[in-house]
Amino acid sequence: MTDSAAASDPSALIEAYFAAGYTDGLPVVPPTEKSIAAALAAAGLRAEEPLGEIPSRNTRVTAEKAAINAVMAGCRPEYFPVVVAAIRGLCRPEFAYHGPASSTGGSAMVLIVNGPIARAIGINAGNNLFGQGHRPNATIGRAVRLVMMNVMNTRPGLLDRATLGTPGKYSFCFAENEDDHPWEPLHVTRGFAAHDSTVTVYASNSLCQAYNQLAATPEPLLLCLADALANLSTPNLKGFNESLVVLAGEHTDVLRRNGWSRRDAQQFLVEHASQRVADLKRGGRLPGEVTADDETAERRVFEAPEDILLVCAGGRAGAWSACLPGWGKKWTRSVTVHVEGPR
Amino acid sequence: MKIFDPTAAASTRPLGLAPTPPRLDGVRLALVENTKFNSETLLRKLAERLGRKYGTTLSVVHRKRSPSHEIEDGVIPALRRQADLVISGIGD
Repeated sequence: MTDSAAASDPSALIEAYFAAGYTDGLPVVPPTEKSIAAALAAAGLRAEEPLGEIPSRNTRVTAEKAAINAVMAGCRPEYFPVVVAAIRGLCRPEFAYHGPASSTGGSAMVLIVNGPIARAIGINAGNNLFGQGHRPNATIGRAVRLVMMNVMNTRPGLLDRATLGTPGKYSFCFAENEDDHPWEPLHVTRGFAAHDSTVTVYASNSLCQAYNQLAATPEPLLLCLADALANLSTPNLKGFNESLVVLAGEHTDVLRRNGWSRRDAQQFLVEHASQRVADLKRGGRLPGEVTADDETAERRVFEAPEDILLVCAGGRAGAWSACLPGWGKKWTRSVTVHVEGPR
Repeated sequence: MKIFDPTAAASTRPLGLAPTPPRLDGVRLALVENTKFNSETLLRKLAERLGRKYGTTLSVVHRKRSPSHEIEDGVIPALRRQADLVISGIGD
């Protein structure tokens, strides 16, 4: 296209990005030298600075490429440090990017933001947590997905082999509600100070909204959540799952009122997120004939309390929480990365 | 106005394909098993068939940490010493 065509019809430039195969199916914001420079300045990065590498893709993410994709996603410059931290998380060896990025399971990369930056840039931690309407939530996650597609070569049908995928693959970013929290926030449980800003990156291919309006004590409420985490169609029932549970307002209050600690809730879920071996065999999740012993033998989904990431966020009203089963901690682990500003 | 390229070429290290063995008889096979369900069973059956049909020998079976992880440091040089041909790559 010519410069004059773009100047007279901005949509022509947007169409050019579609034509080049650079988008996720939604229109992008065409970057400029100025907007790319502003993103880099907000994170204190030089264009050529490497953010990380995916060895199995033989590719390296530079700050400039990340900034171009962040601008395309609609990020304001001040969001870019969060995008950078998330990309660094994807590149950590323990995250083991190749599996969750490529699998038929079609994982969303869930970004949980903690610390002062979440409030400073207005990441939603409340009502409609996973829904539309908040620019940082919508564009930070989108920027990370665009980097995955454009830089890490994770393109649908090629190195992204999702059978179904999930709408969360467009963007999946939210903040924890640290202002109304019964415990210490997630990043503190993972070794950071409360005043640190962090992003936790976690791969999940499903989100189950768990409803319970009658439970006034933790046990019945957590039984519902345990069932959602360990139902027969849960992707990984091999006994080493890592899962995310997002507790929203009324459910958080049930635990708070009854004096349950984070550890109490995690331990209860470990003990109750299980399936009988007989049911696993009947459901085709384990091979072999059902034996008499299988009727009483239980197989747990989790090994340890810390395998359950408990996050408090979402609206104050409503008897809803969310369970997001993971891939299995032997295959990928959530990682928490410090968000760094200009040095 | 200018279009900024958001993509990156694969470039961090040069990769080359090993030469194809001119014949299979006497070739030493290595299997890289990625822990996917039934992957070891399938790979071993494949090795058996190759042995019967072409006279290959199974030299080594390496079990990866998971399907998601890179092959461990030092394994590729060891495979190179122990085998002439490696079979890997089990999906769903």
